[in-house]
Amino acid sequence: MSIKLGSSELAKYPFLQEASDYIQETKFDFAEFDRPEMIHIINRAVEKLENELKGKIYSNLDEYEIEIMTFLVSLLLIKSIGLEEVSKKCSLFEAMRVERFLSTDLSVERSSQKKKLLVQKIFQDLFDINIDVDSTSSICKLSVPDYLLRASKMYEQEWKLINRSVKDGYVYLDTDEAVRLIRNELSNLIYTRVKNMKVYEVPILIKSKADELRKKYSGRYVYRNQFKILEYPPCIKHAMEIINKGENLPHSARFMLATYMLAIGKTEEEVIEIFKNSPDYNEKITRYQVEHLAGKKGSHIKYSVPSCDRLRSEDLCFAVKECENLINPIQFGRRKLT
Amino acid sequence: MNQIEYTNENIKFLKDIFRKYYFENKYFPYLYSIEKREFGYRKFDSLVVRHLSFKNIGELVVELVRNVPLDVYYSNAYYGFPSNPINEKQWEGADLIFDIDIKDLNIPCFHEHTYYICNLCGFVNSEQKLCVNCNKGKTYDISIPCKRCFTAIKKEAAKLLEFLRSDLGIEEKFIEVFFSGNAGFHFHVNDPGMRNLDSNSRSSVTDYIIGNGFMCESIGVRKYRNGFMIKLPKSGIMNGWRKKIASSFGINQKSELKLKHLVEASGGYDGFRNEINRITKKFGVHIDSQVTNDIHRVFRLPGSINGKSGLTKTKCDDLESFNPNNDACMLDDSEVYINLKTKLKINLKNNNFKLDNVLEKVPSYVAVYLVCKGLATISKNQ
Ligand code: SF4
Ligand SMILES: [Zn+2]
Ligand SMILES: [Zn+2]
Repeated sequence: MSIKLGSSELAKYPFLQEASDYIQETKFDFAEFDRPEMIHIINRAVEKLENELKGKIYSNLDEYEIEIMTFLVSLLLIKSIGLEEVSKKCSLFEAMRVERFLSTDLSVERSSQKKKLLVQKIFQDLFDINIDVDSTSSICKLSVPDYLLRASKMYEQEWKLINRSVKDGYVYLDTDEAVRLIRNELSNLIYTRVKNMKVYEVPILIKSKADELRKKYSGRYVYRNQFKILEYPPCIKHAMEIINKGENLPHSARFMLATYMLAIGKTEEEVIEIFKNSPDYNEKITRYQVEHLAGKKGSHIKYSVPSCDRLRSEDLCFAVKECENLINPIQFGRRKLT
Repeated sequence: MNQIEYTNENIKFLKDIFRKYYFENKYFPYLYSIEKREFGYRKFDSLVVRHLSFKNIGELVVELVRNVPLDVYYSNAYYGFPSNPINEKQWEGADLIFDIDIKDLNIPCFHEHTYYICNLCGFVNSEQKLCVNCNKGKTYDISIPCKRCFTAIKKEAAKLLEFLRSDLGIEEKFIEVFFSGNAGFHFHVNDPGMRNLDSNSRSSVTDYIIGNGFMCESIGVRKYRNGFMIKLPKSGIMNGWRKKIASSFGINQKSELKLKHLVEASGGYDGFRNEINRITKKFGVHIDSQVTNDIHRVFRLPGSINGKSGLTKTKCDDLESFNPNNDACMLDDSEVYINLKTKLKINLKNNNFKLDNVLEKVPSYVAVYLVCKGLATISKNQ
């Protein structure tokens, strides 16, 4: 007996091959999007995108026919909006949405065959990771190199191998962790799908929505031309790179970056601007935090830049030769002036 | 750096012996995929040549016999174009290599056999300070590791081996252990599964082996308000470092309450973290993480002579029985006169040498060892 993914899986994982097959089978034509009954789907896709752009995961779940169509329309929208930052952010939040579904499915699904199939479809077929889920405990097992190659992209200490359950060349993760491990890849998958999509004629309804969205969001995400970086210390450079790529920075790194920028005389506005590119950017919160660090809010203490020692222990240090004998990143490059 | 006193007699003597060695030992059985490696060497004048490549062992031996380098290196990386500049080599993976060294172990006897040589006049001082002979030179130190040192480093090597096998699950056939030829061991892991690890991933592995960065949270102790709370991880605490730490505390997956008492007894979250740091120090291995994390490094070639000692970088199949000063000493025993800079005792090829006079007649392998260490020179009058 062959076990298959059901319609509810297709609804949650509309990027799987099976979902594309579905569209093929129904002989769906893009032109149909201009039919009035499609307006519901288009609106839904817009709602989803706007959620994602605000930094929220869209968690409504509908029938699979609707979900697959919504997914398709979202991709079309993102493509037609044509803003890099929108593509990045939406891909990330789409990945996080999948992460949420997948994590629940893997831990509550009772059929172990179904579980294995899901894991195979997503981990193995899409990302080439061999992973085994224990049918009773739901603990996932993968090889050390498979783990390392992904975990090394995450900056939190908890992802270091030493903090993992390791035995005989395998790493054991609970389902949340296993799914979190492929977030970047999922988001890349969606991002590249959009990038490689060839659309010759975007249906009018979608195009006009895309125009609206572009107007609304362009400028908001355009990162102002970076400050002239004469010589930031490597720790700061590294954090800036991550943020400029639109990736998530751990809290400790944000703290370092903000205090550093304030210390070298950037205005609060300028510092807030730096964080605009983070995927979970929220202006109000960021403003409050930056003002707090600058000593205007809350405790009225002006926070200083963490020492190199502390940054080293937080894995934020990427010392180069010029870092020798430095105690604090703000000393970096100063000697050159004297 | 190079400790050899640059006299004509020294250089000629060493070069003749090294050349003869490479001529007679032209096999290099542990050199795999030679055509994908970058080679480099250090000449007797300390100049380093890099970005060389050879199609086969024959080509390499010709180069060694012709130019007679002091040290020979090859890359752990496999490259599409090994002789190109670094950014154009096309990296295709790299062996995972670990380096442990006696000097990192803080062995108490270490200073007993350490010598402080003046960088200007070559005088051997007994302490690390301004040279007492010329009053100008600074000293650098060299050491002649003793039996106790080797016992300690072999113990460290055994610990490392256990980590590689049990925790990382690396198969025996992929692990080769070499005596470096001087004061340490190199572990070469050529497991194809590990070859593609980037530098970050390797640093996660070295931190694992050293015992760096274990968080209390990994064993279920979390900060909470002003105190702490216990919440064991779903993936359990009975594997890896979690297990090493749990076992030292005598707890298991069911001992939440006991764990809570333990944390309280050690003075809360911070106190408990200090306890953990003590345990990780005890079980961790003293490897040089920078060596392992670098995916573009060159390493001493197995089977080549170590210019710091004249001993060969030698494969070591059984740590327990391996005797570096015998098993890695492969040079001639024809005798030669040397001028010693200090009195010393040394054991090589299972012979004890007690050298008390300024002028001594010794087998070539002893002469090479001491000249390489900068403790003797070849006498002008033979
Ligand atoms: S040494 Fe200091 S300045 Fe240099 S990278 Fe590390 S933390 Fe930054
Ligand atoms: Zn001197
Ligand atoms: Zn000793």
